[in-house]
Amino acid sequence: MATAVLLVEDSKTQAYQIKETLEGVGLKVSIAHDGPEGIRAAISEPPGLVVLDVKLPTMDGFQVCRRLKMHPATRNIPIIMLTEKTSAEATMTGLSAGADDYIPKDIFATEHLITSLQELGVL
Amino acid sequence: MTRVNIPPVMSVTIEDSMDIMIARDTARRAAGLLGFNTSCKAQLAAAVAALTEQMLKAGGEGSLHLNGVQSGSRLGIQISCEAGWLKNLPPNSADALQEQLNTMVDKVEIVEQDPPHMNLIFWLSGPRQIKEG
Repeated sequence: MATAVLLVEDSKTQAYQIKETLEGVGLKVSIAHDGPEGIRAAISEPPGLVVLDVKLPTMDGFQVCRRLKMHPATRNIPIIMLTEKTSAEATMTGLSAGADDYIPKDIFATEHLITSLQELGVL
Repeated sequence: MTRVNIPPVMSVTIEDSMDIMIARDTARRAAGLLGFNTSCKAQLAAAVAALTEQMLKAGGEGSLHLNGVQSGSRLGIQISCEAGWLKNLPPNSADALQEQLNTMVDKVEIVEQDPPHMNLIFWLSGPRQIKEG
C-alpha cells in the first residue's frame, strides 16, 4: 500500500507541483493549507511522512513542526521542511524544531526530496 | 592526530549568487556520499551557504573545496577555501560568521598562511550517520 504523505502548503500552485512529484514516486498525498489544519489532519490520521512549508498563514512551519514532534501520535513521523527560507538561521531553527530534513525550494529541490524520502525509509 | 584527506573530493567555483545554490547542493552530495544523515546534510549545506554568501559579499571570488577527511578511526568532511576575503569584512561581521559557523560544524580553523585558509570540519559520529535498513 502506498505511504500516505501529508503536505502542508498554502500555495495552491506549489502544493500541486509537490503533490505531482510525490505521487509520481508512488506516494498517496493529502493537502492541508495551513498549520492548524495540518496538525489536526496529522493527529486524526497519522501519515507516514509530513512535508511542511515554513511560510504558512496563522502558524508558521516551525511551530507546526514543534507541535507534531511533541504530540504522542505524531512525534515519530518524519518531517521534511521544503521551503523558500534558505538562511542558515532558518535551517537551524527547522532542524532544532525536530525536522528530519530541511530542503530549500531551488532547482535541486526535487532531487533532494527524492533522496531524502529514500533515506527516511518512505520509498 | 593528523588529518588525511580522502574521497570524495569536490570543488565549486564561487563567482556569483547562483553559486551559493550550487555550493549548497555540492555539500549535500558530498555529505551524502560520506554517510551523513538527512538533517546533518541540511546543516552542513546551510553552513556552506552562509560561508559562500559572506565570501561573495566580501568580494572573495574563488573556489570552495570539499573532501572527506580521516583522523585515526574518525571520518568526516572538510570544507576549505582561501580566506583572504575575511579581512574585507567589518570585524564584527567576520566574528559573527565564525560564531555562526561554529554552531553548525565541529571546528572552524583559520590557517594563517599566505593567503590564509579557512577549514570547516564536521565529524561523522554515530547519531549523524544514515540509519541502515
